[in-house]
Amino acid sequence: MIKGYAGRILEVDLADRSFAFKPLDEDIARLYLGGKGYGTRLLYDMTEPGIDPLGPENPLIFATGPLNGSLAPQSNRFAVVCKSPLTGGIGSAACGGSFAYGLKKAGIDILVLRHQSATPLRLEINGDRDIVDFLDASELWGKGTNATQVALGKGRNHAVIGPAGENLVLYAGIVSDERIAGRTGVGAVMGSKRLKAISVTGTRKLDMEDENKFKDYTKWLRQLFRDHPVLGEKLRRYGTMGIVNTTNARNIIPTHNFKYGHHDDAMNVSGEYLEDHGLVGVKSSCIHCPVACGRDVTLEGVGRVKGPEYETAALLGPNLDIPDLRWVNEWNYLADDLGMDSISLGATLSFAMELQERGLLQSGLAFGDPTGIGEMIQDIAHRRGLGSDLADGVKRVSEKYGGKAFAMHVKGLELSAYDPRGSFAQGVEYATTNRGGCHVQGASMYFESTGPLTINPQNLKLKAEIPVVQQNLACAINSMVLCIFTTYGLIPKAVHQMNPNGFLHRTIALLFENSGPFYRLVSGLKLMPLLWYEKWLTYITGEKFTSGRLQEIGERIFNLERMYNLREGLTGKDDTLPDRILHESTFPHLRSGHPLDQLLPRYYKIRGWDEHGVPLPRTLARLQVRL
Amino acid sequence: MSITVDLTYDLAKTLGIRRFEIEAPATLQDVLRLTRARFEGEDAAFEKLTRVTGFVVNGVLISHGRGMETPLKEKDRVSFLKAAAGG
Repeated sequence: MIKGYAGRILEVDLADRSFAFKPLDEDIARLYLGGKGYGTRLLYDMTEPGIDPLGPENPLIFATGPLNGSLAPQSNRFAVVCKSPLTGGIGSAACGGSFAYGLKKAGIDILVLRHQSATPLRLEINGDRDIVDFLDASELWGKGTNATQVALGKGRNHAVIGPAGENLVLYAGIVSDERIAGRTGVGAVMGSKRLKAISVTGTRKLDMEDENKFKDYTKWLRQLFRDHPVLGEKLRRYGTMGIVNTTNARNIIPTHNFKYGHHDDAMNVSGEYLEDHGLVGVKSSCIHCPVACGRDVTLEGVGRVKGPEYETAALLGPNLDIPDLRWVNEWNYLADDLGMDSISLGATLSFAMELQERGLLQSGLAFGDPTGIGEMIQDIAHRRGLGSDLADGVKRVSEKYGGKAFAMHVKGLELSAYDPRGSFAQGVEYATTNRGGCHVQGASMYFESTGPLTINPQNLKLKAEIPVVQQNLACAINSMVLCIFTTYGLIPKAVHQMNPNGFLHRTIALLFENSGPFYRLVSGLKLMPLLWYEKWLTYITGEKFTSGRLQEIGERIFNLERMYNLREGLTGKDDTLPDRILHESTFPHLRSGHPLDQLLPRYYKIRGWDEHGVPLPRTLARLQVRL
Repeated sequence: MSITVDLTYDLAKTLGIRRFEIEAPATLQDVLRLTRARFEGEDAAFEKLTRVTGFVVNGVLISHGRGMETPLKEKDRVSFLKAAAGG
């Protein structure tokens, strides 16, 4: 077996309560690494087209990769893959916490859950004894994710769902510690299996090719991360909410259901504001992470809890016209405890508010008014009254009540908190990403709007190239499985010290902006490792990795996801953006929104797809994507 | 009508205001001068708080346009911008 892998897949049948350990396929591991890549390969091969995402045929796949279980910083993440009940296409989400570490210590690379239990169930997996216990979870059913994990106790690593997952909220997530695999409704799939929790334990050691080199390199990188302006300073101090004032200044923070990109009081939900008003401590929610981007806040009647992330702060704050940290903290806690994606939740609430504003729905929710929101979040999680409609997400609510022009989703997945009208490459990424409108499948906006060195975000230069390279890289990172924040460390400290208006910044940005094919060429070089990921992988697995090989692996995964979506009925027509984004301008110097129609053909061409967004046979052959 | 100037969090905290308005037309040099004036001679504090700080006009970083020569007109919004954290 290749080093770095446990070499085992644990397959559990929840209907007949049986399990089996199966060998990991080395060829698949070489082609797809692990995590999201391996999981997608399994999903494609295990399922027939057209299955019901909430039916017994939809497997729920928890997948680690070769870097999990090591001491590499930000490496304790797992991927979850299934057919998404929210989009009908590929469902995938990643999560920090400690569950990935637990799985790997138990000697399990991938956990596949098949079929459905008739009654509430929880699993206890002991990787040292190779046993799986199927235990009644009736007493846990209905409990929040916090209470559930407390009841399960310490000493093992857990992945659990809350009431949202139990009640099949289409954007329910799976929680490990204080982190959530939030997107695409993976928690609803776990709920459909009546599986409340998985607990795992084990003491197996990860076998590495060259442990000493790995440790030395990791030690050096940990120090680099600690000294880095973003990873070691800004993220540690302000968390992800430290970006609020940037997106607000750049006019891309969602406001009033994406009607605007700026809110006069967005500063009230910024990381800086949190530090001055209510931050009670800084802690890392994921083990072995030197960044510690998690914030703690105090909630009245609850105590110390994990604070919100940027996405949550933006979508439950300015997006609802309620930039008030007290409310955001409370609703964030509710979403986490009930076990649902706060991005989709925030976008669904703002959509319901706009429907109310336009007289299309008596939702009882109004922009700028916190009245009834906490109750509605509970109603959504328990599918009570109108909450049951809102539990289906923006796309389905728009199909029932109207308002498709301002339904802020792509492929059914609600947009995250970067308005692409001020970040054109991010718009292409939203439109084309296989799981839908998400920012962490590439994070193109970092090169345009939020990073220290940004190109002009509102012309056509490099706006099709950046998403391709970034999506490929993100696919590879999500298959190792690492935190995408590790990419921040790729930008040298010196760049962060440049004046954004200075000559040097402007010159480098212009050069980058005009680099075109050269940028893709360099990213795809198979000569040497350009990033640290390759060295880590080589020291662990013994396989030779280059940046080009990582790009190729990522591209392969992205194309397989694409083929899965096409198989399930999605088409190139789904590679679009909401009408509001395409046609309404939020910038005084622009008459319309995002120029997707001018960028999409180039994106398809770079990808090696036809004009309908279908991968060409030669592209699939080059990437060895077997169908 | 006037131009709105949004301050960074640190500038706002120090000055006790989040934004102020100036008469149009104006230049970015005017924005700098008028912001500095609010520090009432505490130039060192102003310099410290505006180090590695850029300007955004109506959501666009000025280095993507005409730089410090960017003209400001009525209803424009100017923001001081600090290097970002990760999100």
